[in-house]
Amino acid sequence: MPHTIAVIAREVWDTRDLTGQILDEAGGLRPGALQTRFDPEDLNALELALRIKDAHGARVVAVGLGAPRQVEVLRECLYRGADAAVTATGDLAAADTAAHARRLAGAVRSLGRVDLLLVGTAVPDDDNSLLARHLAAELGWPAVSWVDAIEELAVDRVVARRAVEMGYEYVETPLPAVLAVGVALLEDDPRAPRPAKAMLKLKMKKAEIPTVPATDEPAPLTLRVRREAVPPRAIETATVDPENEAALRAMLDAALKGA
Amino acid sequence: MPRVFVVAELNDGVLNDLSLQCIGAARAMAGADGTVVVLLPGTGAAAAAAPLNAPGVAEVLVADDDRLAAYTTEPYLAVVKAALAGRPAEAILLPATTIGNDLGAALAAALGAACVTDADGVGAEEGRPAAWRVGFDRKVRTVWVAAEGRPLVATLRDGAAEAPAGSGTAAVEALSLDGAVSQTPCRVVRRDVAKKTVNLRDAKVIVAAGAGVGGPEGLELIRRLATALGAELGGTRAVVDAGWMSADRQIGQTGATVRPDLYIACGISGAIQHRVGMLDSRTVIAINTDPNAPIFRSAHYRIVGDLKVVIPKLLKLLGA
Repeated sequence: MPHTIAVIAREVWDTRDLTGQILDEAGGLRPGALQTRFDPEDLNALELALRIKDAHGARVVAVGLGAPRQVEVLRECLYRGADAAVTATGDLAAADTAAHARRLAGAVRSLGRVDLLLVGTAVPDDDNSLLARHLAAELGWPAVSWVDAIEELAVDRVVARRAVEMGYEYVETPLPAVLAVGVALLEDDPRAPRPAKAMLKLKMKKAEIPTVPATDEPAPLTLRVRREAVPPRAIETATVDPENEAALRAMLDAALKGA
Repeated sequence: MPRVFVVAELNDGVLNDLSLQCIGAARAMAGADGTVVVLLPGTGAAAAAAPLNAPGVAEVLVADDDRLAAYTTEPYLAVVKAALAGRPAEAILLPATTIGNDLGAALAAALGAACVTDADGVGAEEGRPAAWRVGFDRKVRTVWVAAEGRPLVATLRDGAAEAPAGSGTAAVEALSLDGAVSQTPCRVVRRDVAKKTVNLRDAKVIVAAGAGVGGPEGLELIRRLATALGAELGGTRAVVDAGWMSADRQIGQTGATVRPDLYIACGISGAIQHRVGMLDSRTVIAINTDPNAPIFRSAHYRIVGDLKVVIPKLLKLLGA
């Protein structure tokens, strides 16, 4: 029987290259100052799941949280080859990572047998903790973090390659398990993660995405008290023409002073 | 904050020096009346624990056990829980490493504690333990606090606190592990982990290579520049993964955080995972063919050009 793989798909703030004021006077995020995107490591996790599906056959189910804001990440999963999607609901405004995990774990349990749960390792700017670990605790499953490849997949176990500070470790864990996927997985592959397919867009555009309501509203353990603006790092960048020897010399003289 | 607990980290028998910064943060958090307890789990912990006996540390515990040789979550979690059983704490601090972030989050989930990973500082808000992180492209500091009556687990990034100087008077005690090290579902079947032979943190000048060096030939130029400047050689994860450089020279999120006087980035595009490791360098020179490479936003000198052309010119100017 092929594996069932659940993949968490989060819609997160796109915090690359932010310009201008992000916070309003009350310390809230200024409407319109930020766009959202598909969490890039969750997208890697999806790609990893789809590669397992391509190689061995698997049922891939995307699991989301809350209503879409700007990007319909669950539908994006369906357009890339996920077989189904479900979304967990609940009051998300004040929730912390532990509360997110409780809701997502409820949605994962609603799927019946799941062998692998894949999720990005990175902690989005607004989150307080590593979602994978809280999911593992909710589900009572083992977890491996910073996975950037699957070395071996059997019916009842997986060997994952885990990136650590000075190299790699190969960790075997029984299934079901949570694997937290890092960003390194696909960096060397310009074709990945795969784009949406036009045919799947037509097929999945109206696909039903069931919601799994929260059974309880756990009080958050970690409370965000405020956001403060950090003064910008004032870096003055001088462009040096590589053809201009005098400019290069002046740069070296200045840079090496005191070094 | 009366009681602060630090889980120090051992990497292949070597104490991770972020552990000492955690002790510095713990002392500040505990204040004059509080206590700081430090635990070092891992094989060889007893031999490596001496530096943890810093001024203001009340107790140093070591959990030296062969079953803790390679990190997997469950046995480490069991040891930390056993140590905490008789020593409840309002705050628990760990280094923000691949071990610390995994163990810290697992510990928070197990204890029903608040958790802030990758924190840039810890303190108190209205008497409750708090931690903050700078995010949103380094534009926003978010402050979190533990809910009423909950402890806080925080993992601290490099630079979150000063390591304490001098040694203290605490005795180093072995933690009794009877039954605490549980069976683990996970098993490390193989490790491909390098020994650390260079310490980039102390380097005054670093010449760093990215994927743009293209291969060993480009890297040779970088090496010559480093030699001419008396600099250490560093690189991105891509360069290390390609096998062009040893892992202890990696700079960035899963490598070293460096603050040299001069950082020369060669062929580095500047993904945030790399930039977080070098942002605090005093002067940054970046050489890249792509005029829009993100590295230029962190650079004081921007040279748009091919490093194979630019570096020989620099070598000539340096008389090398």
